[in-house]
Amino acid sequence: MINIDGTLLAQLINFIVLVILLKIFAYKPIMKLLHERKEKIASSIEAAENDEKKAKQTLDEYQKQLAEARVKAQEIVDKAMKRAQQEYDASLAQTKQEIEQMRQKAKEDLARERTRAAMQLKGEVVSVSMAAASKIIAANMNNDVNQKLVGDFIEKLDKDKLGGLSC
Amino acid sequence: MPESAAHELMLFGLSFNLETLEMTWMVMAVVVILSIVATRNLKLVPAGLQNIFEMVITGLNSQINANMGKRGALFAPFLISLFLFLLISNWWGLIPGMSSPTNTLNTNLGLALLVVVMLHVLGLYYKGTKYIKHFFEPFAPFVIIKLIEEIAKPITLSFRLFGNIVAGELLIHILPKLLPNIFAEIIPGVVWLAFCVFVGVVQAFVFTMLSMSYLADGVSDENE
Repeated sequence: MINIDGTLLAQLINFIVLVILLKIFAYKPIMKLLHERKEKIASSIEAAENDEKKAKQTLDEYQKQLAEARVKAQEIVDKAMKRAQQEYDASLAQTKQEIEQMRQKAKEDLARERTRAAMQLKGEVVSVSMAAASKIIAANMNNDVNQKLVGDFIEKLDKDKLGGLSC
Repeated sequence: MPESAAHELMLFGLSFNLETLEMTWMVMAVVVILSIVATRNLKLVPAGLQNIFEMVITGLNSQINANMGKRGALFAPFLISLFLFLLISNWWGLIPGMSSPTNTLNTNLGLALLVVVMLHVLGLYYKGTKYIKHFFEPFAPFVIIKLIEEIAKPITLSFRLFGNIVAGELLIHILPKLLPNIFAEIIPGVVWLAFCVFVGVVQAFVFTMLSMSYLADGVSDENE
């Protein structure tokens, strides 16, 4: 037990043999495996980080696009509303103008009609007056004098009566 | 445990203790078989024995890296083998009918001398004259203390392990003789066996760690 003999040398050789065997059977394969696992974990982490980055990028892009789309939609709506307003204003103005034109035209027509009626009336009154006067006075008067007389009368009529008529 | 002349073998003028050698071969076989079984079907996701081997190897590897630096990787197989061999050896004596290869100074001193010789050879190889110079630092008379230290290294290393294992095995044999019957022996016997299992791990670890730190003196790169 406590005596030292050749066993010591044998144990040395035994142990060296064991070291070689264990190096072949345990150390090398396990170190290789640990290395592989390390690489795999590293690559997995890297891949996961890449995926995350990509996902974040895509999300950012989507959000940006969404915001852009929202702004664009708002623009379209604004533009459409503006155009509608413009069209409405334009059509309103046109209608107003048309109404104004029609009113103007109606006024003109009315005035023209009144003038015509007045002229017609004047002519008729002259001839009726002439007839009446010729019948009344039954005298052969100078035609020129007649005309003047009646004309003056009518002028007076125009000024005093016809002009005061509301039409 | 009891030695007899039948266990002695004379060869080239040297006597060999056959019992120790047989036990050593058995332990070696167990270690190698365990390592083959553990690494036969290695998977990226470890299970069972592979886990234990990986734990031992990565645990010792991290200690080796911390203590010995970059060159330590070269000695990792040696230190890991040392630990596994000592662990199984220390436990081997707890199996009835078996005895630990480490219950004899032949094994322990052999391993301790191997470590110390490795230390000096590697120190000279890696550091050259600087290694010799360090025995005379801080000044020449220190060489006496340094030499005592170097001689003490294999002796403490081997006797520590030897004492612990022999004491464990002796008490396993003595306990039944001290106690009146087998029933009285159950509790102290089991407690003592459990303690021996613990001591076996601790001593294997201590021997390995001390070997590591001794080797680190010769191997570690000071520039690191």
